[in-house]
Amino acid sequence: MTAAAAPSRFRRPRREDGGDDSGVSARRWFTPWLLIAPGGLWLLIFFVFPLFSLGRLSLQDGGLSNYSTVISDNSTVIIRTFVYATISTLAAIIIGYPLAYVIATKGGKYKNLFLALVILPFFVTYLVRTLSWKILLFDNGPVVGILQSVGILNDNQGILGSPFAVVAALTYNFLPFMVLPIYVSLEKLDHRLLDAAADLYSSPSRAFRKITLRLSLPGLFAGTLLTFIPAAGDFVNSELLGSDRTVMIGQIIEKNFGKEFFRPELSALSFMLMAMILVGVIVYARLLGTEEIA
Amino acid sequence: MSNSIDPEILEAMAQHRTSRRRFLGMGGLALGGLAVGPTLLAACSSGSSSSGGGSNNAGITVLNWPLYIEGDEPSTSATLKGFTSSTGIKVDYRNSIDGNESFNTKYQATLEKGDGIGADLIVLTSWNAAAYIGAGLVQPFDSATFPNKKNVISRLANPSWDPGRAKSIPWAVGQTGLAYWPDKVGGKITDVNAIFDPKFKGKVTILDEMRDTVGLTMLGMGTNPTTGTTTQMLAAVDKIEKARDAGQFKKVTGNSYTEDLALGDTWIAVAWSGDVAQLQADNPGLEWVIPSQGGMLWVDNAMIPVGAKNPEGANKLLNYVYDPAVAGPLYESILYIPPVTGAEKYMTATAQASPFIVPPATPPLYEFDVISPDVAEEVERAFVAATEQ
Repeated sequence: MTAAAAPSRFRRPRREDGGDDSGVSARRWFTPWLLIAPGGLWLLIFFVFPLFSLGRLSLQDGGLSNYSTVISDNSTVIIRTFVYATISTLAAIIIGYPLAYVIATKGGKYKNLFLALVILPFFVTYLVRTLSWKILLFDNGPVVGILQSVGILNDNQGILGSPFAVVAALTYNFLPFMVLPIYVSLEKLDHRLLDAAADLYSSPSRAFRKITLRLSLPGLFAGTLLTFIPAAGDFVNSELLGSDRTVMIGQIIEKNFGKEFFRPELSALSFMLMAMILVGVIVYARLLGTEEIA
Repeated sequence: MSNSIDPEILEAMAQHRTSRRRFLGMGGLALGGLAVGPTLLAACSSGSSSSGGGSNNAGITVLNWPLYIEGDEPSTSATLKGFTSSTGIKVDYRNSIDGNESFNTKYQATLEKGDGIGADLIVLTSWNAAAYIGAGLVQPFDSATFPNKKNVISRLANPSWDPGRAKSIPWAVGQTGLAYWPDKVGGKITDVNAIFDPKFKGKVTILDEMRDTVGLTMLGMGTNPTTGTTTQMLAAVDKIEKARDAGQFKKVTGNSYTEDLALGDTWIAVAWSGDVAQLQADNPGLEWVIPSQGGMLWVDNAMIPVGAKNPEGANKLLNYVYDPAVAGPLYESILYIPPVTGAEKYMTATAQASPFIVPPATPPLYEFDVISPDVAEEVERAFVAATEQ
């Protein structure tokens, strides 16, 4: 708070004199609102408004009982969705953190090239990327053939349709969202802190835990949100690479929303999904320590 | 989330010819834009209806499904061009119907108020058409301007929900049967219960459209999907659920079944005729069969909505299409069964030999019973619980 108040006093020295130009002050008061207006209006029309009508819809034909019905009918799907999203987020951290670390600290002049390579798959449409997995992983395809010949899969086993295929594709599709924020926070890291830690006889691993990891938490937090939230709401990966036993919440909503009698319950399901993600995010923020994130 | 690309839309763009059923799935996706959609659409439709008003030769507006005229392109369609040059009536043809459910969301409320929706002809699947007729949202045909109505094929001439076809007439008729790879399943398949055969465990896909999958399952159980009771329908759902729990199905899916089928990962699929007609072009080994117990049939029906500006023009267009000489080339081009008697005579020999356009008289094809909304909800819910949850 004090940090925020100080520069504002600094910027407006005249105010204390009482010789303020009211036109200028009015404009100053107005400027932030003016800047927020386009985004705010956009969100109001295309987010708040639909959200409100969705909420109203979720209470039609049964009121709050829609929520209990939808939870009991879809409990397996709901649990599965969060398990998949959690595993793919953890996998993205395990793969993405070292990657971001290496690029940020050892990338040298190739930094930009490596970053470009991370983003490169995004030049291909989401759907095409996912479909190409299908061609890689299909039963008579190269990957399954190799795994069968080395005995990891038996002859009747495939990969497509399995939870593994869905989680792996979710991880792959959202990985750059994990790598980039972590990279940004690691890139800013002041290396003199690590030197200081070494001077004070800290082991490298302790220095990593106490300094590098702590300072990269905001990136890790942002990356987790950017991976977990879309993964929990995804309906494409499971539809294309999964089976009827990998159904996720997004698919249920996407497939059945057209049926009028289902709409209130599916609106309730959408709200449930949103609420559960929100709770998850808050718990996660608490676990990481809110101060470090802010 | 910017990543929620509509897979069907991209797919449809990638594949020029897709079946109309493909677009059914898009209905649900399109609903994302619901909150603002109706107002915009209302604005569009009222704008067009005012321009189309006035003299009866001014023109008509047709709302239809994609791929239901030649090349899916109104400006080059021989049928529409022929109609305009013979009657002087211009046709504003829009292939904008992407699902029964999304159509209802957009237009039903307006029609219930008795207002026009800026269309003179709409095309809906039988179960939905029955609901529109029941609610009085469409008007009867004029037999004086539509004498060719008598040409409708006999099996579709007298549905219980529209006796004598007073208010609805089939525009397109498609089949649901089985597609399979003979080399994988080890020979020919004729029995619909092959989809439940443990030999093919994990290699079968079924459709997530209740009427298609439940209908075929009922045929395999010896019950009739056209006249069956709710109990028989629920028994079929039960059979599907047990098989699914035992791991019989690779997937319960909408449009995306074609990909696994083309890759050969799926050995047997409950499939739509229009899709298989296209798949066979690239996969000559793929077989299409209407099982010996029978296959399913679905019908999309043209109707004149209340508040239409030019019902006479709409009657004239239907009369034109129901001329066998016009219908022959039209249905040969769009690869659906012509609902017009004698249309086959005006097709090439290749088309006459195609099971997609001229299915053999046996095995029989059944249309799923037009059940009441309450029964439909009960069966649909059971089906979703059996196949998704």
